[in-house]
Amino acid sequence: MRIPILQKAFAKAPSARAAGQKRALRIGIPRVLNQWSTHRFWTTLFVELGIGRRDIVYSSETSEAQQLKFGKGRGAVDCCYPVKCMIGHYGELLDGLKRPIDILFSPIILTVPSFLCGNVRENMACPRVIAGPESTRAGFQREKDTFAEKGVTYVSPSVSLAEPALAARQLFNAFKGILDGLTPAEMQRAVDRAYGALHEFDSEMRDQSLEVLTSCASGNRPCILALGRPYHMDSGIGHAIENELQAFGYPILWGQYLPLHPEVLDWLYKDLIRAGRIRNPFDISDIWKTSHSANTNELLWAARYGSLMPWITCCIRFSSYECGMDQPTYSPVQAIAESLGTLFFVFQDLDETKPAGSVRIRVETIAYYLERKSPKIMQGKLAAFQDAPPGILLQNVPDTGTASQDPLPEPVQTGSLEIADTTNRQHPGAGS
Amino acid sequence: MNRIVNDTYRAYEPRPFTADQRKDVTLLFGGVTWRAEQLLEGLFKSAGYNAQRLPDVTVEDLFLGRELADVGQCCPTAFTTGNLSSFLKQEAKRIGPQEVAEKYVYVTAGACGSCRFGQYHQSYELALKNLGLEAFRLFLVQQHEIDQSKASDAGLQTDIHLLLSTALGMMAADAIQDLEYQLRPYEVQPGATNKAAQKAVTEIYDAMLGRPKTLPKWRSVGWHLFTRRFTGAMRRARGYFEGIQLDRLRVKPMVKITGEFYLATAEGVQNYNMHSWLESEGAEVQPAPMVVWFDYLMRYGGQKLEQRFGVNKNARRNFAMLKLGQRVFRAKYDQMRKALGGVPRPMPDQDELRKLAAPFFDNMINGGEGDLLIGKAIWAHTRKKAHMVCELSPYACLPNTMSIGAMAAVQGAYPGMLYAPIEVKGDSDVHALSRCQMVLTEAKTRAQDEFQAALAAAGLTLDEARRRASDRPEVNAPFWKVPHRGAAGTAANVVLELGNASL
Ligand code: SF4
Ligand code: SF4
Repeated sequence: MRIPILQKAFAKAPSARAAGQKRALRIGIPRVLNQWSTHRFWTTLFVELGIGRRDIVYSSETSEAQQLKFGKGRGAVDCCYPVKCMIGHYGELLDGLKRPIDILFSPIILTVPSFLCGNVRENMACPRVIAGPESTRAGFQREKDTFAEKGVTYVSPSVSLAEPALAARQLFNAFKGILDGLTPAEMQRAVDRAYGALHEFDSEMRDQSLEVLTSCASGNRPCILALGRPYHMDSGIGHAIENELQAFGYPILWGQYLPLHPEVLDWLYKDLIRAGRIRNPFDISDIWKTSHSANTNELLWAARYGSLMPWITCCIRFSSYECGMDQPTYSPVQAIAESLGTLFFVFQDLDETKPAGSVRIRVETIAYYLERKSPKIMQGKLAAFQDAPPGILLQNVPDTGTASQDPLPEPVQTGSLEIADTTNRQHPGAGS
Repeated sequence: MNRIVNDTYRAYEPRPFTADQRKDVTLLFGGVTWRAEQLLEGLFKSAGYNAQRLPDVTVEDLFLGRELADVGQCCPTAFTTGNLSSFLKQEAKRIGPQEVAEKYVYVTAGACGSCRFGQYHQSYELALKNLGLEAFRLFLVQQHEIDQSKASDAGLQTDIHLLLSTALGMMAADAIQDLEYQLRPYEVQPGATNKAAQKAVTEIYDAMLGRPKTLPKWRSVGWHLFTRRFTGAMRRARGYFEGIQLDRLRVKPMVKITGEFYLATAEGVQNYNMHSWLESEGAEVQPAPMVVWFDYLMRYGGQKLEQRFGVNKNARRNFAMLKLGQRVFRAKYDQMRKALGGVPRPMPDQDELRKLAAPFFDNMINGGEGDLLIGKAIWAHTRKKAHMVCELSPYACLPNTMSIGAMAAVQGAYPGMLYAPIEVKGDSDVHALSRCQMVLTEAKTRAQDEFQAALAAAGLTLDEARRRASDRPEVNAPFWKVPHRGAAGTAANVVLELGNASL
């Protein structure tokens, strides 16, 4: 079977056609931070608002070249690497496009829609994710207003994405003076569809993950769980380290897209629920009390999922240079992941430098341990369950070539700096 | 044995602290100014607890905090973790870890935010584990939940009665601090202000000790609304400052301190003793009152509710209640100020701060101080409240680094603003102080220029101004309110007043 490559799915346009008024505007969106988990929402939103699919342009994935060419001298903030990189993305959208944009759209995403909503205290984004757009734009307005000079309207509304009704209102207020004839009803319809598309995308990804797990369970083979922030899927932020592990034949699952199928969850969490430790599979109150941050909550939740699921024999944790949100989670995440014997490795302080040599050595070490220890880990974890695994995990999936027979995973394409090309890649529906 | 239940990780859960253990257990706390800590001690004692402030923070605490918890902490996390750990470590040596776990509990504020402030306890817990003190009990008080009454047998009752008195205690501490910082730079007898401040705080402490031990919820609300216990104590406290002799014609740059809550309010090694260093360098310092941050949190809460009108059922009602609460809060602080002759400065208007910051920072951005620091910096500059803003920014802070980034655009729009963002690591004072020194030198020049302009506007020489001041002894009296006549500096405003002029 094919191993899903998440980067390839970035912002694929919805297949349904927009019903309302067409609007001849070109919108640039920096491919940064929580865009990595919400891009499908934004793309669908703009398509539904009548923007042509080819006119929704994402900056390319983060790269050293991008930062050097478009970010140099504009940085206004000294902080974690993913936020620092925003400057290069803005610069690329302003200076690096063959066809210029009319609007640079960089939402301040206050809260993130999470499958843990209702079971955690809050679903906030990291304070730096939230404020990133404001401190980044300051770098373009320090000496002169670069946006005005380029004739680009900068739109950066704060949006509470975890509250759909409120998000529609916030987005209407942000765009009412910009999109001609926009009505609240039109925005509401667009927002509803955007949530639908996001949900659909999420389900697709989880189904693909289930396929991977089913294949592993059926063949009693191990896989790896990647634990990180959504933007560690950006090959310039996470350095695509997981792909190197895939090259050794170990499928990768991302914590953000683990299967939530009820049979699987019932089986994994039955004992904890019975013992009164948790109320339901999405309850993390026994492992993470201050559950304010959506991405952190999901990270902790995924660590436990990985610790329990027998075929996940290794967790790889990614953390960026100067990440403040990760700091208090280092020890708990490791303790959670390792508690039933799962291997745990960390790639910490990731920044612009990809030390290819040392990554290679670490990847080889991980592969070595995986090969030696996985059978015992799988056996040990399986034995910890009172019941046999659910049928959904053991059914034979149609095999299109197993992961282990597919030693060279599909390479991740780093975005070209020429956005016109990138756009075609990201929006296959647009031109075909 | 079920391994999934027994062998998997569980977050720290403190052992119960029961009401009958109260007499044998001491509450430890810290993290605010010495004035506020002393008043909190009085508050806890009045509620029937044994209470003890943690010792003053040291640089060694910072190192210990870094050593015991996960790497990459912001420096307030490291300082507070280290401060608690170092005390417990010493006590464990003295009486043994078991006894420490029985004898003490630690109380700290939780927060409704996603920055590390809401997760400090994670570092404390790890530190306790690394010290072999897992049995030690620490408790979080959620600052956004007003009433956290527990079952009657709970050892720690953080009910509304305790929380409302805490608020009044913080107000009293802030008002005294602001008065103190307005007097000390001009005192003729060095040390007179500090002595008076000590006595003043003890006066309020005594008032705190004598407050009713418990009251039911609504009676407590009423009591806090109408009691004169604290304002009465403030009026008595005023007496300690009365005799202080001042010379308000000393020309000093006015430096406003802002920054992350913990670092901006601390007056110790946490921020390289920035307040006293600035004073020793000849500045008048405007400290950052805690109440302004609480006022901001209420403003932010109001904004959140306002956005939800017509979306969430109770948004309008909750908004009205919050606004009422905020009005009462501000009125209570004004009462405290009035008791000190109206000399402590009023809180700035939050709506004004919001408007000033709006072009540069979205006011829905939360975590830390949000748009508050940007608004305060512009306010101080444009309203001529200070010559210079010194923003204390913790190394590796999540929200503060971001608003400092946005200040780049503010400085572009207000090129005349003297703004010194100081990154505080905790152990690199030379670098930080010399950075501050550079901006301070410019602020001193501005203060001198402004003073000369004031003399010219008033048509006075310095000697004439001194003569007039001695004819009007009230201008050097501690409880004379220096009128704002368009200058940022105290001496310049005094001269303008003496010459009935303005800038
Ligand atoms: S989660 Fe970490 S890496 Fe991401 S923006 Fe926040 S501090 Fe930076
Ligand atoms: S505001 Fe900054 S310094 Fe304060 S706790 Fe949060 S991250 Fe740390």
